[in-house]
Amino acid sequence: MSALLAVDGLNKRFGGLQAVKDVSFALEAGSITGMLGPNGAGKTTLFNLLTGFIAADTGKVEFDGGPLLGLAPYRIVNRGLARTFQLTRPFLGMSVLENVEVACFAPRVRHEGHARARARAMLEHVGLAPKAASLVDVLPYGDLRRLEIARALATRPKLLLLDEPFAGLGTSEIQPLADLIRELHRKEGLTILIIEHKLRELMQLAHEVIAMDFGEVVATGVPAEIVRHPRVVEAYIGKAEIGESGGALGAA
Amino acid sequence: MSIHRTDWLGALVVLAALALVPAILGSTYVTGIMTVALCFAMWAASWDFMSGLTGRENFGHSLFIGAGAYTAGFLNVNFGASPWWSLAASPLVAVAFSLVIGFPTLRLRGPYFALAMLSGAAVMQSLTIIFSEYTGGQDGLNGLFPFFDSELAQYYLTLFFLAATVATLRLVANSPWGTILRAIRGDEASCQAAGINVTFYKIASLMISAAFAGLGGALYAHYQLQVGPDLFAIILSINIIIMVYVGGMGSIYGPVGGAILLILLTEALRAFSEYRLWVYTLILMLILFFLPQGLVAPLWRRLRTIVQ
Repeated sequence: MSALLAVDGLNKRFGGLQAVKDVSFALEAGSITGMLGPNGAGKTTLFNLLTGFIAADTGKVEFDGGPLLGLAPYRIVNRGLARTFQLTRPFLGMSVLENVEVACFAPRVRHEGHARARARAMLEHVGLAPKAASLVDVLPYGDLRRLEIARALATRPKLLLLDEPFAGLGTSEIQPLADLIRELHRKEGLTILIIEHKLRELMQLAHEVIAMDFGEVVATGVPAEIVRHPRVVEAYIGKAEIGESGGALGAA
Repeated sequence: MSIHRTDWLGALVVLAALALVPAILGSTYVTGIMTVALCFAMWAASWDFMSGLTGRENFGHSLFIGAGAYTAGFLNVNFGASPWWSLAASPLVAVAFSLVIGFPTLRLRGPYFALAMLSGAAVMQSLTIIFSEYTGGQDGLNGLFPFFDSELAQYYLTLFFLAATVATLRLVANSPWGTILRAIRGDEASCQAAGINVTFYKIASLMISAAFAGLGGALYAHYQLQVGPDLFAIILSINIIIMVYVGGMGSIYGPVGGAILLILLTEALRAFSEYRLWVYTLILMLILFFLPQGLVAPLWRRLRTIVQ
């Protein structure tokens, strides 16, 4: 199977800080890949580089048979690469349905049927249909996460980048969302790259894990290997998350 | 009755009232005030379309008004063109100005657009003084022709264009285009992540806003029969923003009501002579303090639920 996304030698420096350093990896079409690393490892910066929100210094990104670097964010979305934000960013003052409808107006999907009907279908997909008419301003956090995913799905992506989808969610909200992500992958063959701090969920979802530290890829492999990799243990487990990830390691 | 139908009904009632009142009163004084009020209503509605919907404040709407008015003045006074040509030329020139300001600044985030509009209007006002041999300086250009000799006919022409402006802007604001503009107000980055070319929509909506402001400038110029540097003044832009706030931002029809209300209020307060500005400002402060959502649009929304 050929790679849907191929990143080659990507670099980004902010002043004296090398946020992303010579990062290379490839994503197989139809895979779920996890991205692991402590805070400040460069994961979100990498997402911003891939989606055009920040310009890369050097490097190459091939997506679905064409280069991505240098394209404006909205163009990248219309090429089939969508993202969610770490901190949810809804369109305040608009209804849940309208929030998703906006994405249905993207040139990539504008001609695929009635926008309102498509938006409603997306909400049904993520389980938000009963709240279609409510104002996003009053939505609880877990629903905002689902809304972010619905909005991204409305652009019918080939690759979906999820930036810490479980952050700030309670235990009861995490499992349904993980199930949703798994279902999107299984039913629609969506390729997914997911940043997550919660090791347990990530290990259950991902086929392969890329570990980052100090802007570099320090290890790549199947989840079981990655959690035993010395660089990962040193970089990730050595810090604040001993209690939680110790449990996850035991489970893995 | 559906919301949509009630809105149409309300619009028709207001339109009928605006059409009948000057005809019934038969006073050229009232007709004149109302003509000016309708011009301000066009400016307020066009401001609201861009800035009210996208939340990108435009502090120099007078740039488009002045550009439209001076275009009418130059064509009519210097080149002897018929006033009717202004109706096409003034919006075009205003749109050209909107591109000059919008193209470089609306790609950026931050206050650049607001500042560029503010200074653009100020620069144009100074230029009318500097190039006084062409522009007439402080005196401006005088002796423009009216569209009609009859005050009432002028009024109806202005009313026709105001109705067309509001109908067009409301139509666009209720289309997918309007949803996108409100999304831009919500969050620009999310809008891009939804695959929307945010810069395009901002520039295009500024162009539309400018076109109708320029059209209003031409109607005003051919009614006053004179254009002057005050049409570029910052105070004009600020007054328009106040009218929008009093009307209710983002509704398009609200600012129309706000403009008419405030112009009539200014006239009604003439009895207070030198205290007029005090009273006017006090009333404004009370409205803005107690009704932060504005007066006209929220009032109509409440009325609409009663009608239904």
